[in-house]
Parts: sequence; structure tokens; C-alpha cells
Amino acid sequence: MIEFRGVNKWFGALHVLKDITLSVEPREVVVVCGPSGSGKSTLIRCINGLETIKDGRLVVDGQRLGDRATNMTELRTEIGFVFQSFNLYPHKTALENVTLAPIHVRKIQRTEAESAGREMLAKVGLAEKFNAYPAELSGGQQQRVAIARCLCMRPKIMLFDEPTSALDPEMISEVLDVMVGVAEEGMTMMVVTHEMGFARKVAQRVVFMDEGAVVETGTPEEFFSDPKTDRSRAFLSKILRH
Amino acid sequence: MLENFSFRTIIEYLPLLGEGFVATLWLSIVSFAGALAVGIILCAMNLQHSQVLKLPAKMYIDAIRATPLLAQLYFLYFGLPRLGMVLPELFVGILALSLNSGAYIAEIIRAGILSISRGQVEAGVASGMTYAQRMRLVILPQAIRVTIPPLLGQAIVLVKDSALLSLISVSELTRAGQLLASDRFMPAEGFITTAACYLLLYYGLKSLAVLSARWLGVRPIGSRI
Ligand SMILES: Nc1ncnc2c1ncn2[C@@H]1O[C@H](COP(=O)(O)OP(=O)(O)O)[C@@H](O)[C@H]1O
Ligand SMILES: [Mg+2]
Repeated sequence: MIEFRGVNKWFGALHVLKDITLSVEPREVVVVCGPSGSGKSTLIRCINGLETIKDGRLVVDGQRLGDRATNMTELRTEIGFVFQSFNLYPHKTALENVTLAPIHVRKIQRTEAESAGREMLAKVGLAEKFNAYPAELSGGQQQRVAIARCLCMRPKIMLFDEPTSALDPEMISEVLDVMVGVAEEGMTMMVVTHEMGFARKVAQRVVFMDEGAVVETGTPEEFFSDPKTDRSRAFLSKILRH
Repeated sequence: MLENFSFRTIIEYLPLLGEGFVATLWLSIVSFAGALAVGIILCAMNLQHSQVLKLPAKMYIDAIRATPLLAQLYFLYFGLPRLGMVLPELFVGILALSLNSGAYIAEIIRAGILSISRGQVEAGVASGMTYAQRMRLVILPQAIRVTIPPLLGQAIVLVKDSALLSLISVSELTRAGQLLASDRFMPAEGFITTAACYLLLYYGLKSLAVLSARWLGVRPIGSRI
């Protein structure tokens, strides 16, 4: 579903992604972790073209990125992206947030999009909040609207960039629960997170990145209980101490 | 002073002042519409990556902001006939106001668009919106809200600036006040009355702002931007 082969990327002189080779199968859930600045966000932002790669091969849903034949706008409708900072549209209600792209991008009838949107919001536990504006919602609620906004596009892939890092601790689990639900329905997911509980529960693989390179890959069980490299051990001891 | 203040003369000149008031009102409206068009085009040029459009827009905006409106007005008034374009004073006046205010409006709109966070653009991109859809559905509705107060401020400036058109003998409000002042040697009556009229226009624009805010559905809570 997603295949990186020998992907490199630079920001000016900074080599942010170093020879990344990695693939994600359909219905697989992959968790990406690593120290801040290691290139995790850049890695998943490349998948929907928010960043472009310098060299190597990146194939998403059968289409090679950077190819003339690949229509990025179309490909993006198949990929949901959940941001750390939610990025809901502040001038739109929760229901309008989740129906905007279905109506204008997917060209779904408004009434149909709205009933699907209500259903989706109810599913993420926001049945009472259809007409609330983002500013009237808590962080956890906003992030759940953001997830619903992606799901309403019926994507094939969902990408999450530290979806719970901007949240107060007591709101983290409500968002993780929604993500677990999405994973259990068979979504292909790539999730940048340090939430070990989530990784152990639904991820098939954990990818550990450091300084722009994939340093270690393994099942959550292997990775968390028996990390193979010094760098991953050092990283885990740091996040475990908190 | 007050016992000399001649309300009778003001009443006598009311038709002329009324005409001036109406003229100032409609030429301001036309000029503001022109300025919006100029501003939108300049701003669109200025937001391009390519210097081909960006550089002329920047130079134009700088030139307008660096020189007095009166100089720009005279430049058009005396310059255009030299290029063989003899236009009515009124037209020259409206042109000058539109070209002048347009430069300021371009910067107001640009600031509004740039005030929308990068994350909003990315949310639109990630959901598969085209550039035009992002602008129309995400960026502009938010930018318009932050742009209305400064645009209104610019409209007020434009109305006051239109007084300069009296210098190229356009019949508008200040011109009417001047006529009263010089015909009857009553500058106080003439200019206090025109000042009162400008005040009226000012309050008109202010209530327009309130109405437009309501019309655009600006909600105190909904817009955290
Ligand atoms: N747009 C950018 N321009 C220049 N440098 C960037 C940009 N985005 C990220 N970086 C740098 O690239 C490195 C990796 O960033 P990022 O992918 O955000 O890491 P992570 O998500 O793992 O914290 C960091 O050193 C960061 O400062
Ligand atoms: Mg990051």
C-alpha cells in the first residue's frame, strides 16, 4: 500500500531522510517512533505529498509519487491525514468540517454527506456536538472531529502525526480509543506516536527512527521488551521514565 | 461667534451642499469598488512565486505609499492630457482614488490571507482540495473576517481623501463648502457643515461594518483567528 525504496530528502544542507526503505501492507498498522527531530513527521508527510522527496521511489496505492501520471490531488482523497494541532476549520461547525471535502472534493450530495457526517461524528462520540465550532470544543473533541473529517472521505490509508501530543493527559485515551476502533475495522494506518499502549494493542510493527534513518523495525512486543540497538534502548529508557 | 453664525446661509446653500454630499458619497463608492478591484489584482500578483508579476506589484505598492495622494492626483490630472488622454475631472479623480486606495487594500488583503495559519492550508491540501477550492472554502472566508475592519478603515480614509478632488474642481462636498465660504465669506459655516457631513458618512460606514459582520456570520466564539 505504501512503499519507500531508497528515499532521500534534504532541507537545504540538512539530510532529513536517509535512504529510507520501508513498506506498509494493506490493513497493516505501523507505529513510527523516535526522538524529536528524527524525521518522523517528514516521513509521513511525504506519503501524501505535503513534502516532496529528492530521490528514491515512493509508491502509494499503486501510484509512484513525482510521476507525471500521478494525480496528487486525486491520490490525497484516498489518504486521511491527522495533524498534531488538529487544524480544524475554525469558521465551520463540526458537521461542516466533516462534510466540506466530501461535498466539494468527492462531489457527494449535501444531504447524503450530512447524514454520513452525523453518523461519523456520533461514532467518535460527538453526537451532541454537530453544531459546535472548534473553539467550543476541547482538544480531545477537536482531534476526534479531525479523525471523523478524514474518515468521511472513506480513505484507503490514514496517517497520524503525533495525534495526542498536543492534548492534556486526560484526553489522550478518548482519542486513542477512536484510533483503535479505526484500526480494528481494517484501516491501513501509519501512526507517529510514543503511545506504547496503542502500539501494543493494534500495531503489527514498530519502526524506530533516529537522525533521519530507520534504525530498527520489529513487532511491538520485540521492540518494547527487547530493543536491539543502543539508540532505541536509550530512547525507550527516556520515554519510560515519564 | 455664535451670534454671527448664519444658519440661514447654510439653509440657503443646502441644495448645493446636498448635491456635494451625494457626489462625495457615490464617487467614494465607485472609487472604493475600483480600489477593491485594483487591490485584489495587486494582491494576487504579489502572492505569486514568480517575480514577473510580484516585482511590478511590489514596486507599484511602494510608489503609491511613498508619494502623497495630491502628487498622484496632479500627476494624472496634468500628465494624462500630455499623453493625449483628456478625461473629465471626475473620472481622473475616481481613477486617482482607486489607484491610491488599491495599493493599501492589496496590503490589507495580503495580511489577511497570510494571517491564516499554514495548518489550514495543509488541512485543505491533505483532503484533496485544489488551490481554488482551498482559497474559496478555507482561506478567503477566514481572511475576509480579519480583513473587514481594516478595509472599512481604508474606506473611511478614502472618503476623507476624496476632499482633495475639490482641487481639480470636481463638484463634491468640500467644493460645495468652498463655494459657500468664498461666495459669502463664511468659512465657518462652509467648513463646519462639510465636516458634519463627513461625520455622517463616517457613522454610515461604521454601521455598515456592524451589518456586514452580522451578514458574514462572524461569531465571537466561532472565529478564534
Ligand atoms: N520545512 C522545513 N524546513 C527546514 N527544516 C525542516 C523543515 N521541517 C522540518 N525540518 C527539520 O527536519 C528535521 C526533522 O523534522 P521532523 O520531520 O519534523 O522531525 P520529527 O517529526 O521526528 O520531530 C528537524 O531537524 C527539523 O528541524
Ligand atoms: Mg513531528
